[in-house]
Amino acid sequence: MSESDSASALQPTKAKPLRLSGSQPFTQQAGVYIMIGERTNVAGSPKFAKLIKDGKYEDAVSVARQQVENGANVLDICMDEGMIDGVTAMTRFLQLLGSEPEVAKVPFMVDSSKWEVIEAGLKCMQGKGIVNSISLKEGEEKFRQNAAKVLKYGAAVVVMAFDEQGQAATYEAKIRICERAYRILVDEVGFPPEDIIFDPNILTVATGMEEHNNYAVDYINATRWIKANLPHSKVSGGVSNISFSFRGNNKVREAIHSAFLYHAIAAGMDMGIVNAGMLEVYEEIEPALKELVEDVLLNRRPDATERLVDYGETLKGIGKAVNEKKAEEWRNGTVEERLSHALVKGIDTYIEIDAEEARVKLGRPLLVIEGPLMAGMSVVGDLFGAGKMFLPQVVKSARVMKKAVAHLTPYMEAEKEAKAAAGEVVKAQGKIVLATVKGDVHDIGKNIVGVVLACNNYEVIDMGVMVPCEKILERAKAEKADMIGLSGLITPSLDEMVHVAREMERQGFKLPLLIGGATTSRAHTAVKIAPHYSEPVVHILDASRAVPVTTSLLSDEGKSAFVAQHRADYEALRKAHSAPKLSVISLEDARKRRTPIEWRAEDLPTPSFTGVRVLNDFPLAILRDFIDWSPFFHTWGLKGIYPRILEHPEHGAQARQVFSEGNALLDVIIEKKLITARGVYGFFPASAVGDDVELYTDSTRGAVLERFHFLRQQSNKEGNEPCRSLADFIGPKETGLRDHIGAFAVTSGIGLKELCESYRAKHDDYNAIMAEAIADRLAEAFAECLHKRVREEWGYGCAESLSAADLIQEKYRGIRPAAGYPACPDHTEKGPLWRLLDVQANTGMLITESFAMWPGSSVSGLYFAHPESRYFSLGKIDRDQVVDYSKRKGMSVAEIERWLGQNLNYDPAE
Amino acid sequence: MTKSHQHPLGKILDSRIAIIDGAMGTTIRTYGMKEADIRGERFKDSTKSLLNNGDLFSLTKPEMIGHIHRRFLEAGADIIETNTFGATSITQSEFFVDDPRERGGRKDPAFYQKVIDDQFLGTLVWDINEQSARQCREWADRVGTATSRQRFVAGAIGPLTVSLSNSPDADDPGFRVVTFDQVKAAYTQQVRALIAGGADLLLVETIFDSLNAKAALVAIREVFDKDGKELPVMISAAVGRGGETMISAQTTEAFWNAVRHVKPLSVGLNCSLGPDLMYPFLEELSEKADVAISCYPNAGLPNPLSETGFDLGPQDMARYLGDFARGGLINIAGGCCGNTPEHIGAIAKALEGQPPRKWRPAHSEEPYADQIASPA
Repeated sequence: MSESDSASALQPTKAKPLRLSGSQPFTQQAGVYIMIGERTNVAGSPKFAKLIKDGKYEDAVSVARQQVENGANVLDICMDEGMIDGVTAMTRFLQLLGSEPEVAKVPFMVDSSKWEVIEAGLKCMQGKGIVNSISLKEGEEKFRQNAAKVLKYGAAVVVMAFDEQGQAATYEAKIRICERAYRILVDEVGFPPEDIIFDPNILTVATGMEEHNNYAVDYINATRWIKANLPHSKVSGGVSNISFSFRGNNKVREAIHSAFLYHAIAAGMDMGIVNAGMLEVYEEIEPALKELVEDVLLNRRPDATERLVDYGETLKGIGKAVNEKKAEEWRNGTVEERLSHALVKGIDTYIEIDAEEARVKLGRPLLVIEGPLMAGMSVVGDLFGAGKMFLPQVVKSARVMKKAVAHLTPYMEAEKEAKAAAGEVVKAQGKIVLATVKGDVHDIGKNIVGVVLACNNYEVIDMGVMVPCEKILERAKAEKADMIGLSGLITPSLDEMVHVAREMERQGFKLPLLIGGATTSRAHTAVKIAPHYSEPVVHILDASRAVPVTTSLLSDEGKSAFVAQHRADYEALRKAHSAPKLSVISLEDARKRRTPIEWRAEDLPTPSFTGVRVLNDFPLAILRDFIDWSPFFHTWGLKGIYPRILEHPEHGAQARQVFSEGNALLDVIIEKKLITARGVYGFFPASAVGDDVELYTDSTRGAVLERFHFLRQQSNKEGNEPCRSLADFIGPKETGLRDHIGAFAVTSGIGLKELCESYRAKHDDYNAIMAEAIADRLAEAFAECLHKRVREEWGYGCAESLSAADLIQEKYRGIRPAAGYPACPDHTEKGPLWRLLDVQANTGMLITESFAMWPGSSVSGLYFAHPESRYFSLGKIDRDQVVDYSKRKGMSVAEIERWLGQNLNYDPAE
Repeated sequence: MTKSHQHPLGKILDSRIAIIDGAMGTTIRTYGMKEADIRGERFKDSTKSLLNNGDLFSLTKPEMIGHIHRRFLEAGADIIETNTFGATSITQSEFFVDDPRERGGRKDPAFYQKVIDDQFLGTLVWDINEQSARQCREWADRVGTATSRQRFVAGAIGPLTVSLSNSPDADDPGFRVVTFDQVKAAYTQQVRALIAGGADLLLVETIFDSLNAKAALVAIREVFDKDGKELPVMISAAVGRGGETMISAQTTEAFWNAVRHVKPLSVGLNCSLGPDLMYPFLEELSEKADVAISCYPNAGLPNPLSETGFDLGPQDMARYLGDFARGGLINIAGGCCGNTPEHIGAIAKALEGQPPRKWRPAHSEEPYADQIASPA
């Protein structure tokens, strides 16, 4: 159908097709479903995510090429992943696609929850693509603005059925929000209605919750209503979500997807995101299954879910369908089956009874562990390895395992004593000593690794946090450990790990050394640690990688091959690392390129007080509203942005579960006051002097109270981007203007240690880790909450009206950088902060010799109020700045180099 | 929202084919100017040769440029273009900034950021655009008044000497010498000055690279939004033998889909091919686009033996464009490289009385298109 046909047809309601372009035009054909290639989405394709993370863009481009070759009409491109810099990755990938004629011919869908990533994508498309997505979640103003920008660049737009109240689940909410969005877009923004693509939320059915039974019908009906009432608009959706409760049972999922599409397309759905490999041909669904599936989708009978679950079980060994009513049936199996089920499902209700029954049946406690319990755990291990179970589930399985083992232990001890009395030697399967190194208190990740290893029948000796090198090595010798694992989160821990490696070499250890923790990396391990120790030194990226590595290292057959490969890999990394360094400019030139700020008195508000204030026992209920939940999911290995992650096609159900359990624990913590939040903060007259900031004792500014030292970016950046330093954001002394700086230290970790220990005593690692994760969130929330108060007390924040989501996205004026973070990576700057606020006396928070804060769930930093102040990453600095900085700080160059090792653009040894 | 429906050019387009002028560069060459002429006092110390930087004549030889504008107007042009095809800091940098490649460096976003921020270039492009628009305004009004026929000034926004769609580095197809925001900034400077000088229309033309054009169109939108003044926009691409934009290889319909949101007054083709090779792509565009169609081709292909440097004379051009008009393809016609005032005179004469292409806006919500198609 050509344009002139539609114009002359005198049918005002005839829908206009969606028209897009890459280098070739794309025009939607009436009644033909639009194929969206979804393998170039890091959230949907782990393979693609890995290519991007590894910088293998050429291979990533071939993923795109295959999609086009396989007939994709549009390519969905998403770079939303914690470890990926979305703007950079989106820009680079689209520019590469732009140079790839076979791919460049199709339109692109720029998919991100971050506006800046979307805009970066729009700047790379010569054709007309699709923005995925915008919504009313943050209100009409934001919605209008973003829509106008999409229109300015010339793209179609996906509008999620979300509003200020959240995601639309029911038919009524879906059509209400879509209509409201449509009216704003068409009437106010002037958006072409045929370029509006609604996503009215495909939500999971057959969850066992009655209120979810109508979700498919609601989507289909909403689609029909939209097509009838919002002229020319289109409908899309993420299809695989619908069948999420049947994950693991692809046969059923494929049937559900195709039946759902069949009905949704009939109702007017124009396009959707679905893995083509997960799609049965509708006509080829076997009739019995089709009827059961359609009963569920169309909500045709109350027992539809159970019937489909039952049928699904017959199709696949381990059905994963959620069905509360079936819950107790597994109790009818043999004791071995019950133990396995309990482990896989993480049910601890009957574990002691079953363990006891098995012990009696099998005769010896060890046979229970090596038999049914290990069998169950290996199912867990296999499912986890295959990506079919998620970390929170594994941790729960481990809790069940531990309870069973705890029940059996006394019997084993008795046996061992009997054996020892008889002169036999008892050898465990594999023994690992884990420790967070000296000076560091962070251990959530290490605890998860410990639990995962324990699940796999390793004997784990967890030495806790802040463990000095000699203690670790002594213990490893005493226990005849097979491996040592070191963990650390803060940068100075890296040097401590090097020290441990050197000591192991000196003392002639023969054990492999494992390295893990947030600041560690494969490259750092290969370049800085491994050369100091002759045995394998292996970096473990996350808990899921621990078991394959330990298994290989302890296997008689597999070890040599693994070690050879490992050494080759690390050698390659070292080679790559010795490649040319970044280009940096001199400190002198960098200072000339300081952040350009026009200093005006009206930009420098005076705080309502100066000096220090203490917050004792701050109410946790208030902090709760300030929590940024996304990192909480990260802790659990669930990567995504809250609240979107709750609807994630694969991780959504897990995310919802840890979220609800985390909140339940938070309820208890608040109600019973299990932990205490304390903080201290203050305002001080201050001026910038070079790259330092001087704080004065009083408003006469006669006497210097304290001095903070900052570093300046030196990498040679494109364009006229300034070389920033935090000192740029405080009024320079020579202006004579009266600026101020704020400082704070808060903790929500008081009582946490006792709380976690009480859980561990009950073999409940799950809640121990949960409590730590929650406390971490509360500390960050405390910092955010206090920052809000500080902005008000500083005057400029009174007028702001920001939602919790706005706060998380830091839409306010001013910043609160912390020592040890990218803008000021030098941890030792916590020293002056502790003196300034007398943190230890005021709150009980300590700093360790590595300048880590104790307790762990603590945050400290400075407040900058200037409207131009912003976060940045220092990046690499050169020797000239290190020398200058060491003079300013009165420390030796070598000492500074040790603290700033990660930021040096040169090798101090050279 | 666009205010262009109130524009008087809309009414003209509904009743007849409007005429746009011919080639400034070709015509300048017939005046026999020398390096010293283009330098004048202002650029006498410039280190590079400036003779091919014809936009400078608007500053150094305004009387000659004015004469050319006047001749095109008297030949029958309804629309004259400002002499600003290369008047952006990015293009002017070719004439005024040392090429880093000569010293083993390369052109990259850092280089172009300096260009964008350069004071000298900033002042220069403001002066060229503002002065040229002012000169055009003056001649359009003078001839318009004398002939009792309103004439229009189109601010000419050219394609730049860099591409946002291509990498010059064979080893890194993801590399770009310049960023979208830099290109946008360069166009923003030009657009503001053209409006300040009194342009009636903005003409994004000779589009080799659709992404460059997008940056220009985004710059225009932002200037309109910020300054609160809006002009009709004309868009014209330069396509090769396959009908694709010469650098970014985008086909005609794909190009139209990509710029349609701008709701331009017209879209069309210019430059590149002669009129005969342009026909099928013009036909395609005419069929797809629900706005006015413009066409101002080169006078055939380059021919160094011809007086104008191109194959086709005034009568040839008149015949080809007459065919386009009879085919119902065009609303605005004129010439690009190789077309002198004599060519435009012949084209204007040939199109006199020819009915314009009829089109119906597909979108009732495009107010100006309604107005043009069915004036009250």
